[in-house]
Amino acid sequence: MSGTPAKSMLRSPFIIIVGTVLTWFIAAFLVWPNANVLIETFFPDGNFSGRAAEKLFSSQRAMKSLGNSFLLAVALSITVNVVGIFIVLVTHYFRIRGSKILFLGYATTFIYGGIVLAAGYKFIYGDKGIVTAFLLNVFPGMDPGWFSGFFAVLAVMTFATTTNHMLFVANALKGVDYQTIEAARNLGASTWTILRRIVLPMLKPTLFAVTILSFLTGLGALSAPQVLGGRDFQTITPMILTFTNSPTSRDLAALLAVILGVATILMLAVMSRLEKGGTYFSVSKVSSALQKQKITNPAANIAVHAAAYLLFAVYTLPVVLIVLFSFADGAAIQTGQISPGSLTFDNYVRVLTQPSGLRPFAISVAYSALAAVIAVGGLLFVARILQKHKNWVTAMFEYLLHIPWILPSALLALGLIISYDHPNPLVGGAVLTGTTVILLIAFVTVKIPFTLRMLKASFASVNSSLEEAATIMGAKTLYVFRRILLPLVLPAAAAIAALNFNSMLDDYDTAIFLAHPLVQPLGLVIKANTDGAEGVDGVSNTFVYTVLLMVITGLTMYLVYGRSGARPGRRRGPKGGKRGGPAAESRAVPATSPAVVADTKASAPSPVP
Amino acid sequence: MPDNAPVPVQKWVSIVHKLKTMVGAVVAVTLLAGCGAGAASPQPSGSSSAAGASGDTLVVYTNSNGEGRGEWLTKKAADAGFKIEIVGAGGADATNKLIAEKNNPIADVAFGLNNMYFAQVKAAGAIEAYEPAWAGEVDASLADSDEDKAYWPLVKQAILLGYNSDKITPEQAPKDWTDLWSKDEFKTRYERVTGLGTATAQLVFAGILSRYKDNSGDLGISDEGWKQVEQYFQNGSPAVAKTDLFARIASGEVDMGQMPSSIVAEREKSFKVNVETVVPSVGVPLAVEQVALVKGTDKKEQAQKFIDWFGSADVQGEWAQQFNSMPVNKSAAAKAKPEVVKFFDGLKQQDIDWNFVQENMGSWVEKIELEYMT
Repeated sequence: MSGTPAKSMLRSPFIIIVGTVLTWFIAAFLVWPNANVLIETFFPDGNFSGRAAEKLFSSQRAMKSLGNSFLLAVALSITVNVVGIFIVLVTHYFRIRGSKILFLGYATTFIYGGIVLAAGYKFIYGDKGIVTAFLLNVFPGMDPGWFSGFFAVLAVMTFATTTNHMLFVANALKGVDYQTIEAARNLGASTWTILRRIVLPMLKPTLFAVTILSFLTGLGALSAPQVLGGRDFQTITPMILTFTNSPTSRDLAALLAVILGVATILMLAVMSRLEKGGTYFSVSKVSSALQKQKITNPAANIAVHAAAYLLFAVYTLPVVLIVLFSFADGAAIQTGQISPGSLTFDNYVRVLTQPSGLRPFAISVAYSALAAVIAVGGLLFVARILQKHKNWVTAMFEYLLHIPWILPSALLALGLIISYDHPNPLVGGAVLTGTTVILLIAFVTVKIPFTLRMLKASFASVNSSLEEAATIMGAKTLYVFRRILLPLVLPAAAAIAALNFNSMLDDYDTAIFLAHPLVQPLGLVIKANTDGAEGVDGVSNTFVYTVLLMVITGLTMYLVYGRSGARPGRRRGPKGGKRGGPAAESRAVPATSPAVVADTKASAPSPVP
Repeated sequence: MPDNAPVPVQKWVSIVHKLKTMVGAVVAVTLLAGCGAGAASPQPSGSSSAAGASGDTLVVYTNSNGEGRGEWLTKKAADAGFKIEIVGAGGADATNKLIAEKNNPIADVAFGLNNMYFAQVKAAGAIEAYEPAWAGEVDASLADSDEDKAYWPLVKQAILLGYNSDKITPEQAPKDWTDLWSKDEFKTRYERVTGLGTATAQLVFAGILSRYKDNSGDLGISDEGWKQVEQYFQNGSPAVAKTDLFARIASGEVDMGQMPSSIVAEREKSFKVNVETVVPSVGVPLAVEQVALVKGTDKKEQAQKFIDWFGSADVQGEWAQQFNSMPVNKSAAAKAKPEVVKFFDGLKQQDIDWNFVQENMGSWVEKIELEYMT
């Protein structure tokens, strides 16, 4: 399936059409605006100046912060995988009592993040936190400020960013062929061996993709270090943001961003290399759905249960406190003092009775939904072609599509403004600034790299023999795509769309530069109500908006993912293990729900290098 | 070929159905959002004039829209016959946005930015000179210092060093910023900033650094001046994100720090602390919020009328009454809160060479962020 020569790709009209649209899009919205902004930044008077590099490399603080960001990125790539794989296993692989409740607890990261999440953890483990107060009772001599620095930042960010594992790794796990596991067990393999030699290798494409995301999250860490990092562990992102906002220092911001971007691309290259050559789809003729495994060793069973429920508490406590504190006044939130009598609906009344009312919510929902659907819809074709045809052309396109990961969104927005504030032939002579489309373009652009990575990973676990069979029987490219491939990747695509949607709801960095003055999205309203030297109402408004966003994003996850995820859950129950009747046995059948997908793409482990 | 598999096809149909419902909902919401924009609904593309897209509505950029200011102004303006749309952004964001959009401006009027920000906007050629009807009622020395005055003052804001007066008597209190790091009793008791992105922090440093002006020094500042900055960051307790200085004073973590004058009264009440402010012998830096006409607006006449109305004694007086501000307009000062007026009457303003500050602030921020902040 790899190594299609670039020339032969030109024979397919499908590829030519997708390729043409893609080339135009990349040229118009990825390369041209960003090249403009970088040229303006690095060649202010037409001459290159090495000033930025000189300044940065002689700054101790910049180097230390940069080092911290890299340290966090590397550490996070490991810890998020450890915790993420663990929670996926206890919710989807092992038979754990109350795994549905556990799932809900671990799924709380789907719906919130950012500064409020860090604040939530601080309520619990900070110097005035609940757990700290308890620990001080037990160990009077301990330091109340124990939860700060690198360790605290790493812990919080680890627990906060397992979302991708819960969605994508769990989805991939459903594709593991249960018969292989049974066979291995019959041959005497232990639970651990089965996990290590059969289950985890099958998850590799997805694990690689989520590892890149964890790395990127660590590099871009902003709020957790600000809240919990203390003097010794500050990262580079706050500095990038300050310099982006200062026209005379923008070259420093751009250089830092490029350094981080190059690191991300290197990581991408390493992961792509590791991924190459493996087979990650079913090669077995008859496969069956995964059954939950009992942990036979009683001690191990107890330990896993204990760890699972401890993690559950770690995940859910901050959410509970954030919801609780959203009813308290701003002074109580900031001093961490709360009494049951002081909880009122005042904050919600204040936020929801603003003259702008629900309009900003509707605008943000519309923008985010459109952008999410366009990004996923468009990239479905692209991801398929990139995954199927591997040559220098597709490799180049793939790297170009990652440009939005390199620059901070404020610079992307500035690039779009300076490129499209005059009639530009790239967009048919239109002026885009001041219109409603420019923000949509930015939203779609920003989400391309994430969408592409995750879609590619899910295409990688589709058995190509299905497609071959259909093609041999005369099915056209689009028909195969629509009836065979699409159903198989639909669950992942829906999850990606939902995550994209959620992440754009409260966007500020892009919207502040590109929003139409009469169609202002939620992020701007949130900023107006929460900023300004962190006043009293400002902080409680932050909490109210977080809870309101939790409601919207929770609903989205339920609509898109929760319901389709619930059905296979029932099927995979104790009885569901017996294969799903005649339909599931006809192999080359397009399947739609993850359970059926699991049947179809279940597999035997093939030797992975 | 796949059609001979009844069960999955049904599921497929049901998913397609679900997707259709979702897409339907999205379209509905989009339409809703579109309708909300009313008759002035913007054209998605092809409209060559961006400003024209907003019809007869004046687009007003400001960083002074928080805490109900934006809504108040929109309503008052409507009563006076101006249809305005406020676009709120932080000072630096609003500045960058105005500069980025200079070739095809979207805003018609900008206000709230201080003289440092407006000087940048003007240097980029994004605002144009205009003399408002009330120009005679304000102290022209607070406005744009060039001949062709492009921005005009509205509101004065003092940048202060405040301390917890329940804990520290005026005699014990620091007498100047420099005491914070030169006297041992204050070294760990003041909050220091962790970034220079905010206008308040930049003005504090403008106040400190301009005392050490030295043309032969680095960026126009003597070594002694840079030493002060170094000391400022080596001591002090770093600010905590999303935790207000007043919250930290209330909990006893710190006793003093920087604050703009307009917030003091309200924060004292909310956090139940009492704060007094220090007036150094050189005086305190004043931030002056300004208003300006955006260059290239196609609603120039209306925008000028709006500026004339907004800066007038009546409107500024009401604004001051409502938001505890200190108007620059002399006739409006009569309507401001007496305690605010009294405070500013007794206040010595630090003599700062704003042209010097404006020229260098970008480089100062960069140097401080790179070399002194820890």
